Amino acid sequence: MSEPPAGAAALAASPPPSPLPAMTLLRVFARSLFLQASWNPQGMQNLGLAYALFPALKALYPDPDRQMAAVRRHLAFFNTQPYMAAAILGGVIHHEARIARGEEGPEVVVGFKAALMGPLAALGDGFFWLSLRPALGAFCAALVPVLDAWAAVLFLVLYNVVHLTLRAKLFRMGLRLGDRLVEAVAHAHLPAWGARLRTVGAASAGGAVAYLAISLGANQGGRVGNALAVGYLALGVLAYWLTSKRFGNYALLYLAAGLAVAAGALL
Amino acid sequence: MVDWSQVALAGVWGGLLALERRAFLQAMFSRPLVAATSIGLLLGEVESGLFVGMLLELFHLGAANLGAALPENDTIAATGCSAAAVGCALSTGGGGTPAIWALAIIMFGWLGALGRKIDRWLEPYNTRLSRKAVARAEHGELRRAVRQNLWGMWPHFLIYAALAGACTAVGFWVGPWVHQLPLPLVRGLAWAYPAMACGAAAIATRGSHARHSAAYAGATAAVVALVAVALSLRRGA
Repeated sequence: MSEPPAGAAALAASPPPSPLPAMTLLRVFARSLFLQASWNPQGMQNLGLAYALFPALKALYPDPDRQMAAVRRHLAFFNTQPYMAAAILGGVIHHEARIARGEEGPEVVVGFKAALMGPLAALGDGFFWLSLRPALGAFCAALVPVLDAWAAVLFLVLYNVVHLTLRAKLFRMGLRLGDRLVEAVAHAHLPAWGARLRTVGAASAGGAVAYLAISLGANQGGRVGNALAVGYLALGVLAYWLTSKRFGNYALLYLAAGLAVAAGALL
Repeated sequence: MVDWSQVALAGVWGGLLALERRAFLQAMFSRPLVAATSIGLLLGEVESGLFVGMLLELFHLGAANLGAALPENDTIAATGCSAAAVGCALSTGGGGTPAIWALAIIMFGWLGALGRKIDRWLEPYNTRLSRKAVARAEHGELRRAVRQNLWGMWPHFLIYAALAGACTAVGFWVGPWVHQLPLPLVRGLAWAYPAMACGAAAIATRGSHARHSAAYAGATAAVVALVAVALSLRRGA
């Protein structure tokens, strides 16, 4: 993943450091891992956000009334991609620190969240849920016959190197840059990386069809091994065509099982 | 015979994986490939967990939790199927076979769809927690208000732990019956595993969300098939 140049430059330009101790920030980050613990259709991640921010708000507002007002404004509706939420959390602390110093009004942080949660959700969903995860899932699943259980370990390592690095980096960017984190995130070119990863996913899945058909067909088929391998390949092509016709995935899975059981029992 | 300590172990781990999927961390320990392999590792039959997980990883590859939309619960499908396959393999004493993996997936593959219904069913409980948190915050009980967040986890844990444990028990119970199935049916089940795997990989090709996915998948499949044929010819020569 390339370092966003504008983000790096902006970080180097160094806005004032956070007034909160590192331990408090670490607690906020750790609690942000529970962002979706009480996801609900009404406020979505509202409870998770308030839970994560609480140590910071407590430190920023010693006055109980101001503290209560701060917690209440973060119990309002909130929803974004959970990893990208790290950027918003950092940005919220940045703004809350300014509000605590009297440099801006509370409406700014409310506007900041409202403006960013949608775009960051779209960016995060596109990159993590629709690109990185399927690509690595297909790639590592295709490697199971070669790596055995290490394929699962490889999946975890590759995914989390990207996930945890980006999550920590986004939190730091939000904290230091506030509103300017938008530029920095834009320079990470996540959509372009996502498109490349999706190609890897499709290619891996195709390779998996062929490998599974040939190796498992030969192993299971005995004297009809070659015919079975060809049959499995044909089944893979048929399955792809059926999915393009919006044939249900479960129906397809059980149809494949039914055909194979019938063939095995009757041939 | 059912090994209840294995059932409890699978249940606790299945419950924790259900939490990891949605409530905490989301570092993909709950993905089918990892979840099923870890169940296999925990119960002492890695191979069954791994091959069930590989198939379900491909099957659920394209599912994504976007906005308020709920995808099928791939984690309970993986923990349930792998726990059943491992239980079955352990009770037969002969280890995992493609026939057992296929049987487990046929029996419990639909748990993903059930999991989605359960997730939806639990949402009103979390909405009540959210309202309670707002009410507590208005009374100045801030710490208790934000801690409502953690209460959202326990129903998920309990329900999915119970389901994973139940699947393990069913696996142990079904195992001895597999030996008594007619041979042609066992052969059919053994053939069903690769068939379902090929179907799942085809579903994964579409689930990759790539533009021109057919072209990339087709090209790779052709290369893999050619290499495999060349290798087998070389071995024959």
